[in-house]
Amino acid sequence: MPGKRDRHIDSFGETCISCGACVGICPLNCIYLDEWRIGFDEDVCTRCGICVRACPVGAITIA
Amino acid sequence: MEDISCDVLVVGAGPAGSMTAKWAARHGAQVVMLEKRQEIGSPVRCGEGISKSWLPEVGITPSPRWINVEVEGARIFSPSEKVMEINEKHAGNEVGYVVERDAFDKALAIDAANAGTTILLKTHATGVLKEDGKVRGVRAKHFGEPFTIRAKVTVGADGFESQMGRWAGLPTNLQLRDMDSCLQYRMTNVDCDARYCDFYLGKVAPGGYVWIFPKGEGIANVGIGVQVSQVKSAAEVKSYLDRWIQKHPGYAKGKTIDMVGGGVSISQPVKQSVLPGFLLVGDAARMIDPLTGGGIANGCIAGKIAGEVAARAVQSGDASLEALLEYDRRWRQALEEKLLRNWIAKEKLVSLPDATFDKIIDALSGVKLEKLSVLNILKAVRDKYPEVTQEFEAFL
Ligand SMILES: Cc1cc2nc3c(=O)[nH]c(=O)nc-3n(C[C@H](O)[C@H](O)[C@H](O)COP(=O)(O)OP(=O)(O)OC[C@H]3O[C@@H](n4cnc5c(N)ncnc54)[C@H](O)[C@@H]3O)c2cc1C
Ligand code: SF4
Ligand code: SF4
Repeated sequence: MPGKRDRHIDSFGETCISCGACVGICPLNCIYLDEWRIGFDEDVCTRCGICVRACPVGAITIA
Repeated sequence: MEDISCDVLVVGAGPAGSMTAKWAARHGAQVVMLEKRQEIGSPVRCGEGISKSWLPEVGITPSPRWINVEVEGARIFSPSEKVMEINEKHAGNEVGYVVERDAFDKALAIDAANAGTTILLKTHATGVLKEDGKVRGVRAKHFGEPFTIRAKVTVGADGFESQMGRWAGLPTNLQLRDMDSCLQYRMTNVDCDARYCDFYLGKVAPGGYVWIFPKGEGIANVGIGVQVSQVKSAAEVKSYLDRWIQKHPGYAKGKTIDMVGGGVSISQPVKQSVLPGFLLVGDAARMIDPLTGGGIANGCIAGKIAGEVAARAVQSGDASLEALLEYDRRWRQALEEKLLRNWIAKEKLVSLPDATFDKIIDALSGVKLEKLSVLNILKAVRDKYPEVTQEFEAFL
């Protein structure tokens, strides 16, 4: 059985508008936004999906 | 980049950060301010509406360089689009300017620079330095190159997305219900009335509202905030905004020339804003007004206090928790009562059915309010629809 952690979390450059909404709400503080690029600490992220709902444009997917 | 040290280190060059830096420098501290972006104030993540009343008290002089439009008032639209108008006289200066936010932020940063602040752009704080339970500065990257900055007082002014507070050890986490997810288009060729800032309430934007802030010449910021706990699926916030625009021909014909998003906290402010050697200010400390979503004024007011207290701590060589708690006391004195009152009002409003919004706006559309306040609004509504205000008796 694949565990939760095996699920991949991704934000697509074509959709992300670098707004920081996901960064502020992630309960584990594991999303990084340098000036334009969004990144996740895959080891800390629990795939809780909160950032997916907070993103106004649907740029984050967990699969 | 070489490691550096300073008296006061400010992370984030938004309004709260620049105000902190300016007032700390004015009071004699040697100040460094970090900003991860390459341009202060840009991209703009803001509806750009501010009131006028607070500007003098924090030492900001209105300037044509950043004032875009001076509005006469605000209009609040209920779900069935009954309108309540609040003009400037009745609003007690609560409405005022639509600004060019990038120019505004730059003007505040220039003030900070003129007061002696060193500004480092493209400099991203990546963690907090802590020794013996005291915050001593940050780890950062300048053009990608790691270095450390040591400081007697470190200030987290890193906005909604703040990580400084959490790195330092202050709980700033938000629940889904504590946040509105926002999206805004700057549109041209729209039929907006440049005399008003417009707000649309109800199911068009659950737990938030749609705003239209005029920029002049048929240009407007058309935005939406939706409470995240009421978002059911990905990209729903954008769908809400697009749907609203499609239903309003005066906007559907417009063209979008800019798109921004962001998070707005609608929570109570942080319970604790100070640690030994550390202050948290502005959106990072959840100082946004939870009813209106406006945070520029509160960030500036708290920033001035933070700057003064930080400079005093440097001067006296005492950046202990006790010394810095003066900041916590003073900003709460200035802001907390209104923040809490508006938080309670917001708690009621986020779950109000459309029919009730219609009644409230209907009751208010006929009356002239002396001053725009939650209390005055409730009293006016009680006169016409007493059943609506039953739940708010605690206020009245
Ligand atoms: C869509 C939207 C519309 C809004 N409309 C209005 C409005 O009409 N009126 C109003 O009053 N308020 C409005 N607000 C709220 C307002 O934008 C904020 O309250 C205000 O910007 C707070 O100022 P601040 O200085 O605390 O934070 P910010 O302005 O967010 O500044 C924080 C700065 O810190 C920088 N930073 C972050 N992390 C780091 C790091 N690790 N290292 C270095 N730098 C960092 C950021 O790049 C940013 O420049 C709106 C917010 C949103 C999202
Ligand atoms: S899925 Fe949850 S833990 Fe992972 S980045 Fe998103 S909010 Fe953070
Ligand atoms: S909330 Fe969405 S658009 Fe905003 S920074 Fe995160 S992934 Fe990008």
